[in-house]
Order: sequence, then C-alpha cells, then structure tokens
Amino acid sequence: MRSATAHQSDLKNGIFVTPFLLVFSCLLVIPLLWGAWLSLTKADLFGPGKFVGLANYSRLFADKVFLGSIVNTLYFVLLTVPAFAVCGLALALALNRQTRFATVMRAIFFASSVLSVTVVTLIWRIVFIPDIGLLSNIFGWLGLPQVAFLSSPKLAMPAIAIATLWWGIGLPMMLFLAALQQIPGEIYEAAALDNAKRWKTLWHITLPAIRRTFVLVLIVQCVLQFQLFGQAQLMTQGGPNNASRPVVLYVYEVAFRRFDVGMGAATSQVLFALILMAALVQYVVARRKEESR
Amino acid sequence: MKTGMRNILLAASLALTTGPALAADPVEITVQRFFGTCDADWGTNTDISKAIGECGIITSQINKFAADNPDIKVNVNTVEWPGYDQLTAQLASGEPPDLVTIHESVLSDYQSKGLLQPLDEVLKSAGVDPAGFTAAGREGVTKDGQIFGLPIDSHTMLWHINMNYFRKAGLVNADGTLILPKTADELLAQAKQFKEKVGKPYLVQSMANEKGAFYRAMYIYLTQMKSDFFADPTHLKLNTPEAKKIVQLFKDIYDQDLTTKDQDYAASLSGFTKGDGGVLLNGTWVVGDFDALSKAQGNALSDGYTVYPYPPVFGGTPAYWSDGHSWALTKKDRSPEQTAAIQKFLKFMADTNFEWARTGHLPAQQAVIDSAQFKALPHVTTILDIAATAKPLPAQVRHQFAVNDIIGEEVAAAIMGQKEIDAALADAETRVNDLLAN
Repeated sequence: MRSATAHQSDLKNGIFVTPFLLVFSCLLVIPLLWGAWLSLTKADLFGPGKFVGLANYSRLFADKVFLGSIVNTLYFVLLTVPAFAVCGLALALALNRQTRFATVMRAIFFASSVLSVTVVTLIWRIVFIPDIGLLSNIFGWLGLPQVAFLSSPKLAMPAIAIATLWWGIGLPMMLFLAALQQIPGEIYEAAALDNAKRWKTLWHITLPAIRRTFVLVLIVQCVLQFQLFGQAQLMTQGGPNNASRPVVLYVYEVAFRRFDVGMGAATSQVLFALILMAALVQYVVARRKEESR
Repeated sequence: MKTGMRNILLAASLALTTGPALAADPVEITVQRFFGTCDADWGTNTDISKAIGECGIITSQINKFAADNPDIKVNVNTVEWPGYDQLTAQLASGEPPDLVTIHESVLSDYQSKGLLQPLDEVLKSAGVDPAGFTAAGREGVTKDGQIFGLPIDSHTMLWHINMNYFRKAGLVNADGTLILPKTADELLAQAKQFKEKVGKPYLVQSMANEKGAFYRAMYIYLTQMKSDFFADPTHLKLNTPEAKKIVQLFKDIYDQDLTTKDQDYAASLSGFTKGDGGVLLNGTWVVGDFDALSKAQGNALSDGYTVYPYPPVFGGTPAYWSDGHSWALTKKDRSPEQTAAIQKFLKFMADTNFEWARTGHLPAQQAVIDSAQFKALPHVTTILDIAATAKPLPAQVRHQFAVNDIIGEEVAAAIMGQKEIDAALADAETRVNDLLAN
C-alpha cells in the first residue's frame, strides 16, 4: 500500500508534465481523432460534414491514382531512407575529425537543411531542366544525349529523391556524428594495439556502438520521407502520368482543390497507418536483434 | 480667467494631438491578385499607358489608384497563379482579403458556399452598370441572377506565330499573308515542310508538367466539332471519336518530332522568343509582351510576330474555349468607409479596362470593344471574332480547375506515349466523374 505522501508526490510530478500533455493533446491527439471522424464524413472546408461511414475508404481503394500514389511513396521511401542512412554515416565517418577542414565541410553539408523547400526545388529544377540545365550542359560536354529527368516517368521520382537527399543529408550526418563521438577512444586504441584493420574496426566496433542511432535515423527518415510533398508538387506536380504523385500530394489535391475534405482525411488515415507500421517494424526488428545478442 | 485660459489651452492641445491623427488615418483595403510580380520594372510606375504585359499593367493600375486616392491604403497580396489554394485557406480561416482576382470558371465554387458578396448594389453605388459588360463577361460573373464579380477580360488560347520562320518555310502567300492549315493532314504536312526548311520544330509547346495547353486545345476542338462533352454538367463524356482525333493529332506531332519537348511553361515562353520553333501555343495574355518584343530589334521575333486563333483543322464552326478574369468581393464585415473605398477601386478598374486590354485579352466592357482606340491595338483584328465565338464551360461544372487538371494530365500522358489514347480518355472520364459526383 502506497503512502499518502507518495500520492502527493505523484500529483506534484504531474504538474511538470501537464503543459506538455496539454500541447500534445491539442496539437496531436485531438487533430488525430478529429481526422478519423472527418474520414467518415462527406465534408468540405466551409460547413459541417455528413456521416457516410466507410464510403470514403471504399472510393479511395477503388481509385487508381491513390493506389499509384501509395506505390510512388513506397518507392520514394526505398530510394531515400537507405541512402540517407548510408550517405549520412559515410559523411559522418569522413568528417569525424577535429580539423578545420572537417568543421567547414560539416557546416557546408548541414547548410542545405536550413533552406526552404521552394529554394531547394528551384535549385534542382535548374539542375535538371533540359537544354539549359546544369546536367544538360554536362551531358552536352560529354557528348551524351539530353535526359529529361522531370518529364520522364522513370526518372522523375529518382530526380526528386536526389534533390531530397541533398536537402536533408545534414540531419542524419549530425546524428551519426553525435553517436560516433560517444564511442570511447580507448576501444579504438585497444583495437589498434591488436592490429585491427580499418574495415574490421568499423564492422566490429563502430557499427555495433551506433546501432541505436542507426535505427533512430531509419525511423526518423522513414517518417519524414513518407510525408513527401513540397518537392513533388513544385518539381513535377505529381507527373508525368502520375509517376511522382505521393500520398500527401494526393491528400492536398483532394482536400483543398476538390473541397473533398472527408476523402482527404481518409487518405491521411491510411498514410498514418502506413507510417506507423513502417516505424513499428523497424523498431521491433531492431529490438529483437538487440535481445538476441 | 485663469480657468478659461486653461480650458482653451486644453482644447488646443487636444485638437493638436487628436486632429492630425484622425486626418492621417487612411481607410485600408486588401486586394489579392495573381499575374506575377514585376516590382523591379513597374513597382513605382503610375503611368498605366507605359506599362506592358499583365503584371506591368495591373501593378501600374493599382499604383495609379493608390496615388489618386491618398485617403485609401491599398494592401496588395501577390499570389502565385492561380492562388486558389491560398484563397481557400484564407476563407476557411476567416481571414480573406477584401477583393481578389478570380477566374469566372472558379466563381461558382466559392459563390455556392456563400463566401462571396453579391456586387449588384456595390457596382450600382460605384456607378458601374453591368449592362455595359460584354455578353461573355456578364454571363461569366452572373450566378443565380446576381453579379458576383467585376469582369475585366475574356481570354482564350492562340497560335503565336514567328513570321520570320514562316516566310523562310514558304508558308506565306504572295501578298505576305500567312498560310494556315485547314485540316489535320495539312497541319502535319506544313509542319514537316517547316522543319525541312527552317530546321526547327513547327510547334513550341509547354509539355513538362504542364496541363493547361492540353485541356484547352481539347475544349476548343471538341466545341468546334460540336461534341457535347459536358452536355450534362455533372458528367464528362470524353471517350469519343472526336476526342481521339484530337489526341491522335497531337501525338502524331509529338512522335514525328514536330514540336519542342520537355519544356516547362517558362522554358517554352523563353524558347519561342529565342526562336525555338514556329508556333507557340499560349494564351491571349502574352500578346502584349510579344508585340513589344517584335518592335524591338535583335531577337527572333523582331518585325516578325503575329497571332491567330487555333485553325479549325477538324472542320465544324469556329468556337473557342474561353474564361475570364474578374474581381470578386469576399463576404466579411466592413466599415462604410471600406465599402466606399472598394466601390472606388472597382469603378477605377472598370474605367481603365482599355489599359488591361493591351495585354492581349479581350476587354469586358462593351464600350471598350467598340472603341476605335481598342480596334487600333496590334493584332486585335485577327482575334476580335473570338469575342463572339467564345465558349466557356457551363457554369454548372463544379471545380473546373481540378477537372481541367485531370483532363490535361491524362491527355498529356497519351500524347507522350505513356498511356494508350483510349485508356487515357477513359481514365479522364472516370476520374472527373468521380470528382463531380462527390
């Protein structure tokens, strides 16, 4: 049986978390529940909705464009998330030194993260645009034919993925750098005394030491990249032939351009479920691996 | 005596402190417009007659109104075309601008939700008579028997032609007039001849992630062929032999390399001015800019620019897709002073409608269309008939911008070989009908 003092202490502790819980409820829990309710209604932005049950969901799963947007989004996640993890780690390993050059390079690689999506897409449109773009000029110097990245159904999504990687590489790099700097130097010194080669050190010391950060990067990037929107809207408008239309762009078009907020909310619920599943799978797999050690 | 003097001093000091403040407070109105930004060129210009192009002219119109009315402070929001996502968000949050530029095809979307204020009384008080609007303008802004916008133009798509290339290609008559195709086969034959003689594609098109030109071309030719694709405004019928003919023609042009490819909207505009090809498919809104360019030396259009309506290559009667720009008033609480300022603004816009017509658009005031001043503008004679043959989509077709986007996307996919023509037209039908049914 717990004493009255302990209960009092619990209540006092509760005061500390109340502001967070309030903000969390107002900005996340209530909108989430409201979104779930909206998905069961036929509603627009300017009036009360009408309950229609699962009608929005049945319309949604009969829509080829929506199903295509799911495939596009998964493809984009596959293109970007492993690339963020591998490139972020490679950059962090390369720049994990106390030299002025490494400091400047870290700042340069992180700098793109502070740009807005509008600036990023402007820059990359100039890179990809045929005839006068940077890549077009390089292809011309090499005597190679022009490639229309943004109007090719096969290349549009990889082009958006490259722009996104350039934009967002700073965060995983910094997370990996922070993790690398937590590894005690003595372990590396011991490995050096044992004549361990660089690859062996990486494989047996560095990677196991930062595995939690690795999982964190994968989960964070998964959640972020499932929400691809601005780059696709500004670089390709979801085209050509719906080849680069992600789920969030679909939500935006349905809810704000067609005033079909109920259908937009239903799409958002599906996206939420997808992100949740992807994050949970990674988390569970990582935990199991850890427990089996 | 002392008290009297104190009162006088007090009254004087009150007058000094409050008087100037009351006199210096201009009434504020917020206008929201698209048409781009051009402050570097026209940001301080108040001589409207000197301005060129949509952006230059509307910027100068607003500057001139503000200069003439120092008691009115005009806050200008410039939005990326067409700006409806922003407007929707502003209306949903209860913070809309006062006046907003809006396409007549979109008016119903907001009017039917009760978000716009009828303008009948406002225009009457301002001294603007809707009877003076063109028939197209009046029809475009009239919803449920009330006026919901001040129309400022009617616009459509045109063939913008590089005459220097057409002369080189031998596509001009002995008297120097242009030879335009009369059938789809003639169009293809002329395009091939053009490419052989000039070494450039016949058409300059915006094809990369651009939907506008395709749905507009569809509307123009379907209307000319009397295909009732929106006979029922709640149901699109696009999987038809007429629609297939149109898509097939554009696909043939694409497959035979008779058009520029992969250019986006901006690239196609600059490509045409640099001499990328013979005919740019674009709207009335660029006539003023190209005409100014053709009068300057040292560019591909120098002394060699003209413009024509789309040649009716599938027969039928001349008819052209059209839409119109207008100023609409959002519904919100306003002071009588603000309402008066809005009336003044709308009157000014109606009175300067000729200046807006210099963009290339057809004016919305019949008096301007009838004026010798308008008829003396460059290229007006070749496109004036459009004022009588303009055919907007039925106003009952909801969400026209979203409908247009879907048709443009599917048709583009078929033209560029990413989808079979039949499949693209069927998908366009399905998607649009699902949208209209919900």
